[in-house]
Amino acid sequence: MAGSQLKRLKASLREQGITGPQKSKKQRRKQAQDDPSRNDKRLQRGVVLEGIREQFNPFDLKHAARGPKFEVTTNRPKPGNAAIKGRPGLAKAAAEEKRKQTLLVDMQRRNKVGGILDRRFGENDPTMAPEEKMLERFAREKLKSHKKNSLFDLEDDEPMDGLTHMGRTLAFDDQEDPVDDFNEDDLEEDGEDSDGSSREKRLKRLRAIIAAGEEEAEEGEPERKKTKKEVMEEVIAKSKLHRYERQAAKDDDEDLRTQLDKELPNIKQLLSFGINGARRQDNAAPLSAIAGVERDAFDKNFDIEVKRLAQDKRAAPSNRTKTDEEKAEEESAKLKKLEEKRQKRMMGEEVSDSDEDEADKKRDQVSGDMEEEEDDDDEFSLGQGIKARPTATELGFDDEDDFIIEDDLVASGSDLDLADSDNEFDNEGEEDDDSSASQAEDNEDDDDEFTKGLLNESETKNPIFQANFSSNDKNDENGLPFTFPCPQSCSEFVSITKDYDHANLPKIVQRIRALHHPKLDSKNKERLANFAVALVDFVALPWNAETSPSFSVLESLVRHIHSLSKMFPIEIARQFRHHLGEISQNRPIALQPSDLTLLTAIGTIFPTSDHFHQVVTPAMLTIGRYIGQKVPREMSDYAIGTYLSILSLQYQQLAKRYVPEVINFSLNTLCSLSPTAPSHLLGNFPIHEPPAGSRIQKAKAVGLRRLNFSDCLPEASQGGSNALKIALLSTTIQLLDAAADLWTGKSGFLETFSQAIEVLGHINSKSSREHLPAAVSDKAERLEEKLKRMSRVSQLARRPLELHHHKPLAIKTYIPKFEETFDPDKHYDPDRERAEMAKLQKEHKKERKGAMRELRKDANFMARENLRVKKAKDEAYEKKYKRLIAEIQNEEGREANAYEREAKARKRANRK
Amino acid sequence: MPAGSKDSAKRKRTSTGDKVTKVTKRRRSSNEEAEDPNAKILLMEQGILESKKNYNDIATLLSIASRYEDGEDESTLAAVTLCRIFLRLLAQGSLIAKKGLSEKDSVVVGWLKDQFSQYKTLLQNMLGDEDLAVTALTLCMRTLKAEGEHLYDKEEYTFPQAFLENIVAVLITSDNEDARKAFLESYVEEYDDIRYYTFKSVKAILNRLDKDDIPDNLFDQVYALLSALDGVPQSAEELEDFYIPRPKKKSHDLRSAIQHKRQGQDAWLAILSIVQSKDERKRILSVISTNIAPWFTKPELLSDFLTSCYNTGGSMSLLALSGVFYLIQERNLDYPSFYTKLYSLLDKDILHSKHRSRFFRLLDTFLGSTHLPAALVASFIKRLSRLSLNAPPSAIATVVPWAYNLLRRHPTCTFMIHRDVQDPELKKHIQNNGAEDPFNATETDPMDTGAIDSCLWEIVQLQSHYHPNVATIAKIISEQFTKQSYNMEDFLDHSYASLLDAEMAKDIKKAPVVEFQIPKRVFLPQDEPAANPDSLLVKLWDFGEPAKGVAAA
Repeated sequence: MAGSQLKRLKASLREQGITGPQKSKKQRRKQAQDDPSRNDKRLQRGVVLEGIREQFNPFDLKHAARGPKFEVTTNRPKPGNAAIKGRPGLAKAAAEEKRKQTLLVDMQRRNKVGGILDRRFGENDPTMAPEEKMLERFAREKLKSHKKNSLFDLEDDEPMDGLTHMGRTLAFDDQEDPVDDFNEDDLEEDGEDSDGSSREKRLKRLRAIIAAGEEEAEEGEPERKKTKKEVMEEVIAKSKLHRYERQAAKDDDEDLRTQLDKELPNIKQLLSFGINGARRQDNAAPLSAIAGVERDAFDKNFDIEVKRLAQDKRAAPSNRTKTDEEKAEEESAKLKKLEEKRQKRMMGEEVSDSDEDEADKKRDQVSGDMEEEEDDDDEFSLGQGIKARPTATELGFDDEDDFIIEDDLVASGSDLDLADSDNEFDNEGEEDDDSSASQAEDNEDDDDEFTKGLLNESETKNPIFQANFSSNDKNDENGLPFTFPCPQSCSEFVSITKDYDHANLPKIVQRIRALHHPKLDSKNKERLANFAVALVDFVALPWNAETSPSFSVLESLVRHIHSLSKMFPIEIARQFRHHLGEISQNRPIALQPSDLTLLTAIGTIFPTSDHFHQVVTPAMLTIGRYIGQKVPREMSDYAIGTYLSILSLQYQQLAKRYVPEVINFSLNTLCSLSPTAPSHLLGNFPIHEPPAGSRIQKAKAVGLRRLNFSDCLPEASQGGSNALKIALLSTTIQLLDAAADLWTGKSGFLETFSQAIEVLGHINSKSSREHLPAAVSDKAERLEEKLKRMSRVSQLARRPLELHHHKPLAIKTYIPKFEETFDPDKHYDPDRERAEMAKLQKEHKKERKGAMRELRKDANFMARENLRVKKAKDEAYEKKYKRLIAEIQNEEGREANAYEREAKARKRANRK
Repeated sequence: MPAGSKDSAKRKRTSTGDKVTKVTKRRRSSNEEAEDPNAKILLMEQGILESKKNYNDIATLLSIASRYEDGEDESTLAAVTLCRIFLRLLAQGSLIAKKGLSEKDSVVVGWLKDQFSQYKTLLQNMLGDEDLAVTALTLCMRTLKAEGEHLYDKEEYTFPQAFLENIVAVLITSDNEDARKAFLESYVEEYDDIRYYTFKSVKAILNRLDKDDIPDNLFDQVYALLSALDGVPQSAEELEDFYIPRPKKKSHDLRSAIQHKRQGQDAWLAILSIVQSKDERKRILSVISTNIAPWFTKPELLSDFLTSCYNTGGSMSLLALSGVFYLIQERNLDYPSFYTKLYSLLDKDILHSKHRSRFFRLLDTFLGSTHLPAALVASFIKRLSRLSLNAPPSAIATVVPWAYNLLRRHPTCTFMIHRDVQDPELKKHIQNNGAEDPFNATETDPMDTGAIDSCLWEIVQLQSHYHPNVATIAKIISEQFTKQSYNMEDFLDHSYASLLDAEMAKDIKKAPVVEFQIPKRVFLPQDEPAANPDSLLVKLWDFGEPAKGVAAA
């Protein structure tokens, strides 16, 4: 397109049909018919003109610096007119305008103080009519004074209706409304007053009225054909009418019903009045009393009785009485479940019974992570602590609940039999009979044997019975009082029981437990807990062959502790641990017989097969420490070690865990006791140089006996008699036998017991045999044979280790993840933090640039404004200056003229 | 006699006025003499310092001081006073025989020197005394300092070595713990020159000894004195602390670190020559790599001692190991068949030894290389796992992670824990006869034990160890080897006590599980042996006659 700008403009205007040769009338009409959208022509024209303007003002638009880019797949087409990137002229104008409104105002207000701000509503709004302004202001003021702005404030709704008198409004009904006496007619007259807009409104309204009148007029005219639309409207109107009618009918019914409802009480009253009246005639005299009871009270009672009857539980079908087989089955199922749990604990798995364990489980799983666990010992045992079984209380067979007499202990022949105690308890016999049945029923109640027979439910409530108990003077035929205070410490217990024979201890404990049963007093639980702790202390008292209670008594006490520990597991466990701690602090390798009892008690009370147990694990460590570290000096040391070895084997009876110390100790014992010193190395176990005189010499004729507790006392074993040594030797051999049985399946059986075979071979050697009794050497020989046999079996069963049949670990890959909807503009930073950081940085940069640009523009604007102001000032000054100059010149000129004239005049006068 | 001549000499020089005052003073002092010996001593001191005439009192003071054995208080005071006097005199230069001195003056100087040496002897004697030793030591060292600074009026540096040697000799021979400690802490460890000359003295003293007749506790004393010295100077710059101002010449022996080290080396060599008992050797060995070897400029000199110790066997070898290793590492000592020897150290006692953790630290270093033959590494693993069958739990807790680390480092050895037999014939043989263990426990050469063809059945057995933590540790062998290596330090220092403490430290929070069934019998035989058999304990142990027990109960 060549030519000048003007030419081009003309051409394009013509092209668009905006200018052109004038069209004839005919042409125009035709065009109008062809183009129905003629009405938008004006609009179109505007658009077209705008386009032309844009086209001819290239600097108003910003285009891409270079032409369009090549088409590539990732190039997203921009929406709208992609070529135009911005309108700098417009933007600049807008910015300038904005600055004028804000910055300029600020500038002008700079260094100025005070002034009045007109905050009246609508004052600065030129679009509002003064009337509207007033109206709005009034409304606002009302609202403000009213304070109650909330739409939902119901409190003062009534006054809004205006004042009332006797429920009637204060409006003057008969008169015209004094307030609103405005009518349209008036308006018409004083139309001059109102402004244009209201007049328009009025006109509109008038028009509407006229139109309505016209419609009415139309109705009167003969029916014309209805349009489809009208038909449809009619149909709709009809259906609406029907609906309304139905609604009305329904409402009527509702009204009727409510009315009836209202009347019902009256009818009722009528009816009841009739009945009451009749009764009143019947018994007029005792009107207010029935059977001697006040009438109201009677009614009340009657109501209560009825309610009670209604609340009475209906006879529900109870569980069928189970047959013996079923019971046995249930029992075995329960045992099986318990055994399963035990197995799980043995494997060190988490066994949870309730939700509360869940949290622990999670923690355990976390800590169960091997890598972390290895790091230190503390972490190791974190995961193992399990509360596998619910306590007895939870299972509901706590011994505190039922007192069922069980004659288990009686059958054992001890004099705990209650039959020989007096008939203090009248229904004891019955109880006894019951018990055999109930025992079969509830095997759980095993525990109750300890408090058996002393109390039953009804008796506990019987005050006479309690009084009986509290009388201290009653003794049974053994001279045992029936009541004891509940000992709170070991020393108290000792002082209470010191007057009685040790044999009576179980009975005393039993009576204390019964007397201070938690059911009888709320404080008893605490007392019993202390008593249980005291019992533990009592068992741990130093043992002495003469003064200590016999083992049958100890056994019974241990069983009592066991039973109590179901009620007080934490207290008792704590006490046991306390004793273990004391041992490890004070005498780790100088155990006393009482410690042995304690360890045995732990072994029976707590499950020793658990992978980890708060009491058993330290106990086992204590045992291991002794037999592992003790260098035996006395025969008693050997005896204690042997006892502990037996005990540790017993601990591992179920779990069959390996205890290296047992092998070490027993083999060392055998070597030390053997009549001759071994000439060569017999195994990898550490050999301690035996104390002098430990070797068995010339004991051919010594009889076999079992070890007992007095052998564990250093003074008793001082002599080191051959009998004791033989006993030690034979026990150790038996111990090894048991150990071999226990660990028969272990993978290292061959290596472990090959040492034992060698040691036994040494004992069976000729030089040794001649010093040993035949029975012992026989035993040793048999064991050697047995071990050899077992070794052969073990050898046959041995397979190469294949421990690592693990799923191979996947090699870590870093192949980039395939993105389904990849967006090249987006950053796929795998590092989340870095991505966020980058985003923030970018934003910051952008903002910073924007802010700088704005500031720069602001500065420009200010400079411009200042310049403008200065220019204006200068101009004004200049103007003023010029004006003054002109004025002066004017004046001067006049003066000069006057002077000249005067001079001329004088000259002339002088001339004259 | 010298007193008289001194007096006359003094009289000549002092003026009459002076004389009067002196006389009066003397008189006064003699008056008070009876009343307060302490005051008298102080007066004497004043007198001596004021005038040469009173020098005779030095002899008096000496005689007072030498009565220390009687436990007199003033003897100590006298010694202290004498120290002060001599310090002042030395500072004045009164003990230096100058050339221009008159004959009489030189006689005085000679006499003073004599007194000074007497005093030094006295101090040495006092050092041997139980109670006065520490005081005497302080005095000795003060005197020593003054002597070193002032006695020889020359530019050259002189150290009163003979005096120090005497002091050291006294300290070594007496068994006064405090004095030795004080000497060590406040002098030898503080000052480089004192340490240097102490080493020198020790060497000299020990060399003078008759080798056939060494006092019993001599070693203990010397060892206690020297074993604490570990601050080996590495360069001349570190030699900064001098008791006596250091020699100006830079080339002086005292200012070279090498000379210091040499003295240390010589002293230790002298000590090594008096080592007699096994215990003494062990004590030497326990510090050899930390405190002794650094002194040696030629550590090869130690190699004889170390190799002989190493070959002794037992715990001695264990202790010598670190020394030998030091030599190998630092001095490139060629120890033939080192690993064979190391392997032989793995005997039945190693896991029970109290040096176990020390040994394992070294063993971990020795076997740290990945270039070791797999057969050798396998032998070590197998041997230790065999031993761990008889080991305490703490030792097992060490062995297993160690074995893990080795297996991880030497993948060839992992056949010991996972051996998939491919050969059908061999498979059949194993099916029928069981797997034989090719490991030869008696073989001494770790390359020929056949351990690489064996399996670690022992560790599998330990997976069912009674201690839960140990069992869990043992299980890492059969878990997937995901961890790069275990930090051995976490596993080394455990014992029964620490394991127990770890258990006991945890408080019971949850109710412990209680055995569900209360056994009918604990100590006594069951009533119905057929139904529930007696426990092992009851079978093997006699808890008193059951019949009687039941009757009693």
